[in-house]
Amino acid sequence: MAQYTLYRPWAAAPWSPFDQLRREMDGLLSRFGGSPAWSGDWRGVFPAVNLYETADAYQLTAELPGVAPDEIRVSLEGSTVTLEGERKIDYENHKETSLHRRERQAGAFRRAFELPGVVDGEKVDAVHRNGVLMLRLPKTPEAQPRQISVRSS
Amino acid sequence: MTETQGLQAREKQELQEESTRPGAVFRPDIDILEDRDGYVVYADLPGVDDKSIDVRLDRGTLTLDARLATLPETGWNPIHAEYRIGSYHREFRISEDIDTAGVSAKMHNGVLELVLPKSANRRPRAIQVQAG
Repeated sequence: MAQYTLYRPWAAAPWSPFDQLRREMDGLLSRFGGSPAWSGDWRGVFPAVNLYETADAYQLTAELPGVAPDEIRVSLEGSTVTLEGERKIDYENHKETSLHRRERQAGAFRRAFELPGVVDGEKVDAVHRNGVLMLRLPKTPEAQPRQISVRSS
Repeated sequence: MTETQGLQAREKQELQEESTRPGAVFRPDIDILEDRDGYVVYADLPGVDDKSIDVRLDRGTLTLDARLATLPETGWNPIHAEYRIGSYHREFRISEDIDTAGVSAKMHNGVLELVLPKSANRRPRAIQVQAG
């Protein structure tokens, strides 16, 4: 399993070392469809992301409901991917409105991730569909696994 | 009002009592607004499109059910996971009579906007006071 490092120097809220450790442990241990790897009122830096690997690419997904595609900035520097933007919730137009429930949060976000391998920055593809950002980050040819044929002597 | 506070990710709240369906079921975050004409409900449903959501209103109980339309593809090997995926379910009571014929719903960037107009006879009406 690839070691995956999270940088969060711009985190809006400081993390306790315990939360950070637990989250990294959870991140390394959790699997889809498995039992919950964490419990309780977990809070982390927005947005939460998942990272997948295929033979020729990394796939990063982030849940960004309510964020318009043009309000998300994605950048790549070396192997560091940065996501930043703002989630706006504006009820100003609703005059004489009472709020019965307020669970959705708004605000600016910025997160950067170090990918476990080298990617080709020219071929990165970003799609925002149904509030889910999907980044396809193709590996450089050198970083892809190669099949070595074994010759008989 | 406009909020610009630091944004945090919250763990999705999983519904423990849901056992009749396969996979995890999460409770989406919602906002409920009310004005004189009706209610507007916003629900964060990342990964859901307008064809994968079901909204029902039955005797004052509003039920949302949604399945994911945007999914990781098979063959993607997870190497780091901060959130889990599954379907969504939430129900809550709406106290006043709703004009069911006037209910409208739309999905935009993974957010449901549900407009629930009050029945005409429940709306506060301005009574004209005439000079005697």
